Amino acid sequence: MSILIIADIKNNQINPATAELFTAANIIAKDITTPVYLLIPCNDAKITSNYRPDVTTIVIGMGIYHYNAPGLSKAIASIAHDIEAHYIIGLHTPFTIDFLPSVSIEYNAHCVTQVHTIEYDEHLTLARGSYSGKLDQFVSIVDDKPVVASITPGSFDEYGAKDADDLINKVIEINIDTAIKQWCTFIISENKDSSLDEADIIIGVGKGIGSKDNLTLIYNFAKFFPHSAVAGSRIVCDYGWLPYSKQVGITGKSISPKVYIACAISGSSQHIAGIKGAKTIIAINKDPYAPIFNVSHYGIVEDIFTFIPQFLEYIQRL
Amino acid sequence: MSIPYKILVCIKQVPDVNAKIYLEKTKPYYDEKTVYVINRYDEYALEEALQIKDKGLTHYIHTISSGPERVQKALRRSLEMGADEAYHIVTGDDDCAIPYYVARCITEFAKKEYDIIFTGVMSQDAMNQQTGQLIASIMGYNYATGVTSIQTNDDEITVTRELDAQTSMQYVLKIPCVVTVQSSSTMPRYPSLSNVLRAKKQHIDIIKPIMSSQVQYHSFYTIPQKTTECEFIQGSTDQKVVELYNILHRNGVV
Repeated sequence: MSILIIADIKNNQINPATAELFTAANIIAKDITTPVYLLIPCNDAKITSNYRPDVTTIVIGMGIYHYNAPGLSKAIASIAHDIEAHYIIGLHTPFTIDFLPSVSIEYNAHCVTQVHTIEYDEHLTLARGSYSGKLDQFVSIVDDKPVVASITPGSFDEYGAKDADDLINKVIEINIDTAIKQWCTFIISENKDSSLDEADIIIGVGKGIGSKDNLTLIYNFAKFFPHSAVAGSRIVCDYGWLPYSKQVGITGKSISPKVYIACAISGSSQHIAGIKGAKTIIAINKDPYAPIFNVSHYGIVEDIFTFIPQFLEYIQRL
Repeated sequence: MSIPYKILVCIKQVPDVNAKIYLEKTKPYYDEKTVYVINRYDEYALEEALQIKDKGLTHYIHTISSGPERVQKALRRSLEMGADEAYHIVTGDDDCAIPYYVARCITEFAKKEYDIIFTGVMSQDAMNQQTGQLIASIMGYNYATGVTSIQTNDDEITVTRELDAQTSMQYVLKIPCVVTVQSSSTMPRYPSLSNVLRAKKQHIDIIKPIMSSQVQYHSFYTIPQKTTECEFIQGSTDQKVVELYNILHRNGVV
């Protein structure tokens, strides 16, 4: 029995959050002698860090530009079979979630997605966010079938990574034979908006803002802080109230400002995964049960439309 | 030649996002006042299909949904938006049906009949984000997930899928294929009056599920644990304003 970790690929590199999967694997393993393998889904991703010297790294002999989900999932299932993997884990990102569920079909395994907590009761139990973050679903694996799981980024501590220079572990390259020849083009948006990376304080806004015009309130709020930026949940960008470069969450940006203020954001797990890096999280929401308060350091139960104007009035008098 | 395309759109009916959710022992439930709607992402999936129809490339959009009788309201809505036929797989009132089971029911219905099968990228409630991938793998179809734009070209389609705020990926899928659709700036349409009138007369076909929902794993629900002890700022609005200013000051942003 072994554990297979799938490295996530981001901008032609291994996503640093892959380190969190080693922590998750340790919890699953129980026994430290359980072999752990790291699989890199393409052979042109830069390996920037070494996670565990005892881990065998398997590289799929295919460039990312030939990525195709059915071929990759078949290859992973076949590798999993060879190394007798009982657990296959990857990050819950748009890249990895594209093929991970298919691995479960090819490998006849359970598939549990968006997992944020792993524990052993009588059985292995995986907790996953659901119902827009309002409830956690606990899934107990009661049979002997293998398990494929996607782990929400930011849920586990990063396993201490070292420089890739002392990569003393074994690297095996496996060539795959795929029936589908695919050529993928990666499109990097030219509008390199780095405002969310540089800001000390980010004001996040949810659907509750109601309209694009109402955003003036948020901009006025943000203006008060010297190094600030305004961000939004996905739906705010879908409505065209903010550009997609300002979207925070799994399908958008992950942010790490000094302070994040969530205004009228309910706090779906998709959004929360993007704000975990913020040092201090403050939520303003009129619903005291909004899931955003579960991850906030400070909570203010108020309607933003009355609270923010009053705040602006106060600071003008200072 | 695949034109006219045969298209299937998989639809889930979900409680409105603002619906109050209760826990009865360890299962979620909603009260009678709850408004049910088409899953947001499935509406975007249906919109992509309807845009293919607008171009005259199909007159064959079927929608399918599994669940209790109430899901027929969502199917009716899909007809009003412009779908041609609707199919209802009758199952119990189980909001948290296992994705593998739903995928098996749909693939059993779809057989090899369709050129493109659309789903939303995930459901708003269960958020499993795997049913589309499972359908594709069971059928042995190529697929793409999180798609925000589609260009059709005879027996292949070009899809753009989003990876993050900065990066997307574009490639060609041979038909037959499965596409899961992410929300985007392409807003799903409102039903036209003529479609609403037409949909009134349409019949929704009832399908029996191919197998009983086998329990694959045990599952229970709880209120999420706090990962942070949230300090709620108390007092009047004025006092909260002052306290927020103090917190921001302590954190060095003012």
